[in-house]
Amino acid sequence: MDAKRNMAKEPQPSEGETKQMEGLGLESVIERAQGHDAEALGEIYRRYVRRVFGLCRYMLNSREGAEDATSEVFLKLQRSIESYDGSIPFPRWLLRVAGNQCIDALRRRQRGLKVFVEVEDGAAVIEAASSAPSPLGAVISTQERAQVRDTIARLPENYRVPLVLRYYGELSYDEIAQELGLERNYVAALIFRAKQELRRRLVHRSK
Amino acid sequence: MECYSEQTCALAVDGELAVDEALRLRDHLTTCRRCRELVDALRAENRVLSESLQELPEEAACPAGFSPPGWSWVWRDLALMAAVLALGSIISVWFDELSIPAALEWFNPFSPSGFTNLMFNLSYYFAHGGTAMLTEYAGVVGGLFLLSLLGGSALLLARRRRLPKPGLRLLMVLLMLALPSFALERRHGEFVTVSASETVDDTLLATGNTVRVEGVVNGDLLAFGRIVEVRGTVKGDLVTFAKRTVVSGTVEGRIYNFSQSLDLDGQLGHSIYGFAQSLRVNDGGHVGDGIVVAAGEVSLEGEVKRSVDILTSGNADVSGSIGRDLTMAGVSLTLTNTARVGGNLSARVHQAKEVHIADGATIAGKRDIRVQVRKSRFTRPRFYFHQAVWFAAAMLVGWLGLVLFPGFFRATTQAVGSGWLSLGLGVGVLAGVPVAMVVAAITLIGIPISLMLFAVYLAAIYLAKVWVGAFLGRILLKPSRATKGDWVLGLLVGLLILTIVGFIPYLGGLVRLGVVCLGLGAFAGQLYRASRPVMTA
Repeated sequence: MDAKRNMAKEPQPSEGETKQMEGLGLESVIERAQGHDAEALGEIYRRYVRRVFGLCRYMLNSREGAEDATSEVFLKLQRSIESYDGSIPFPRWLLRVAGNQCIDALRRRQRGLKVFVEVEDGAAVIEAASSAPSPLGAVISTQERAQVRDTIARLPENYRVPLVLRYYGELSYDEIAQELGLERNYVAALIFRAKQELRRRLVHRSK
Repeated sequence: MECYSEQTCALAVDGELAVDEALRLRDHLTTCRRCRELVDALRAENRVLSESLQELPEEAACPAGFSPPGWSWVWRDLALMAAVLALGSIISVWFDELSIPAALEWFNPFSPSGFTNLMFNLSYYFAHGGTAMLTEYAGVVGGLFLLSLLGGSALLLARRRRLPKPGLRLLMVLLMLALPSFALERRHGEFVTVSASETVDDTLLATGNTVRVEGVVNGDLLAFGRIVEVRGTVKGDLVTFAKRTVVSGTVEGRIYNFSQSLDLDGQLGHSIYGFAQSLRVNDGGHVGDGIVVAAGEVSLEGEVKRSVDILTSGNADVSGSIGRDLTMAGVSLTLTNTARVGGNLSARVHQAKEVHIADGATIAGKRDIRVQVRKSRFTRPRFYFHQAVWFAAAMLVGWLGLVLFPGFFRATTQAVGSGWLSLGLGVGVLAGVPVAMVVAAITLIGIPISLMLFAVYLAAIYLAKVWVGAFLGRILLKPSRATKGDWVLGLLVGLLILTIVGFIPYLGGLVRLGVVCLGLGAFAGQLYRASRPVMTA
C-alpha cells in the first residue's frame, strides 16, 4: 500500500498550512494526529480517503453506504488513532479499521442474519475440481480489468468481503479471520472458492 | 512425489503457507512442471485481482460503460417518474371522462387512415418549419426539465439527509402533473364551448368530444377533440388534433392542423400548416398567407393570398384563387374555369393525363408540369452517391458511438447474438413504441414524453443496422482481439453486406425489417440491463 501513490492522485490543496503538512513524513503526521492535531488528521484524511472509500465501496456494494462508512472511519479516527502502535504499516492498520467498520455495517444491515458463519467445519478442504476454470490470465486489458472489477462487485458477500480484504486491503488471512470472527482455514477456503466463482462467472460472461 | 492441490498452491502464493511446508513446495516446484505452471498462473491471477481492484469501484459500477457513476440510479428514477406520469395522465383523462382515444383514431398508425398519414407526414411537417407550435411544447418540456433538475437536487439532498425518498418522488410527480394547469387555461368535458358572449384572455387548452368556440379566445387555442369548431374568433394560433376541424369564424394567427379533415369557411390571418386526410378551403374561406400541407385530398375553392404548396397522395382541385405560386406533387391536379394562379404553376405528377387545366383557368406565370417517370434507381449515378454518403454517415455514427459509449456499443453488438430473443423483443418494441406514443400523447403533458420517445425510437431504428452490421462483421472476421479497429472493420464489412443485400427485391425488404427488429431488440435489452441498478446490495 502506497501512501505516495495515493498522494499523487489527490488534488493539491491550496492552503499553505496543508502544504506544510504535505512535506512531513507519515510518521510525524501520525504523531501529531495522535496529539489531536486537527491539521494532521486532515492530512491523513487527504491521503487515504480514496483508498478507504474504495475498500468500503467494494465491501458494502453501495456508494451511499461507503460514504457513510468512510466518514465514520475518519470521525472515529480522532480517538482510535491513539491505539495505533506502529507494529504494522499505517495504511494497513487504517484499512483494517475500515474493514471492521464495514463488517459492522454489514451486520447491522442484516440484523438477525448472521453474515459470516462457518457453515462447514473450519478445515473445509476443497476438492480441486478438474472441471474448474483455470486461473485468470496474466495479461489483461483495461476493459477486461473493468470486467473483473464488476464481477467482483457482484459476488455474494461471503466471497466478496474476504476477497476484497485480501487483494484490495492486502490483509493477511489471520487479520481477515480476526476481523470476520472466523477460523483462518475457513477464510482460506472462502478466498479460494471466491476465486473459483469469479473465474466461473468471467468465463460464463465472455461466452 | 505427489503433486500439491490447487488450494495449497494458492495458500503458498498468498504467502500463507507454514514455513516448512512452503519449503517443501519450493523443492517440489524445481522438479514438477505442472505445479510450477499452476503456481505461476495463480500468481498472475493475484496480480490481476490486485490490479483490477486498484481503480475505484465507481468505474466498476458501469458494466456497459454506458452510465457514469450514479446514473443507474437516475435512470431508475426517471423511468419511474415517466411511468407514473404516463399512468397519471391516463388516469386523469379517465377521471375527466374524455373520449379522446376515439377522436385520435386517425392518428393511430394501425388504423388505415392513420397509417397512410402519420409517418411521412410528420417528417414533412418538421421539414417545413411547422415549429411554432412546438414552442408551446418546448415551454412545457423546459418546465419539465427544470422540475426534474430541482427534483433531482432535492433527491440528492434527501439521499444525504435521509429524507423519505418515496415521499419526495410523489411530490415531484404531483408537481409535474400540476404543471400544465398553471401554464394554460384548461377545459375539458364531453362538450366544451366558449359561448358567443364569452372571452378567454389566455391560451386555451380544450379537450373534449366536441370543442366549439363561439366567443373570443385572445390567446392560442389548443384543441383535442372529435370535432373542433371555431365559429367565433381565435386571436392567436389554432392547434388542432381532431377527427374533423371546421373553421367558419376567424383565426387571426396560423392553423397547425393534425386533424383528419380540415374545412375552412371563414377567415384565416396567416397560413395553414399541417397534415390532413382531406383539406378544403371552401368558397367563403380566405387564407391571408399561404398553405403548406401534406394531405390525401385537397380542394381549394376560396381565396389564398400567397403561395400554396401541396404534397398529396390523391387529388388537388383548385377552383378558387391563389395569389402567388402553386406548387404541387401528387397524383392528379385539376384547375377549373374559375381557378386563378397569380404566380407560377409547377406540378409533379406521374402521368401527364392526370393534369386537367380548364381553358378558363388563369395562370399568370409559367407552367411547369413535369411527369416523373420512375426510372430504375440503379441507373442513376446520384443513387450511388447517396448510398455512399449514407454509408459513410452510418460508419461515422458507429465509430462515434464506439468512442463515446464503448461498453454500451460493444454490449449491444453482442446482444444481437441472442438471436430470436432480440428479434422478438425488437418486433415488440417496433410495434409497441408507436402505441405507447399515442397513449402518451393523449394528454398535453404526455406530448413531450411522446416526442422524446419518438426521437429515441428513430435514433434506435437508425442505429439498428450499425449494431447488426458490427455483429455480422465480427462473426465473419472473427477478430482474435476485440480492439476498436477490429470493431470498426467488422462494422464496415457487415454494413456493406447489409446494404447490398437490402437492394435485393423482396428479400431485401425482409432483411431490412429483420435488421431493424434485431437491432432494436438488442438495444432495448441492453438499455434495460444498463439501466438496472448494478450494485445489488
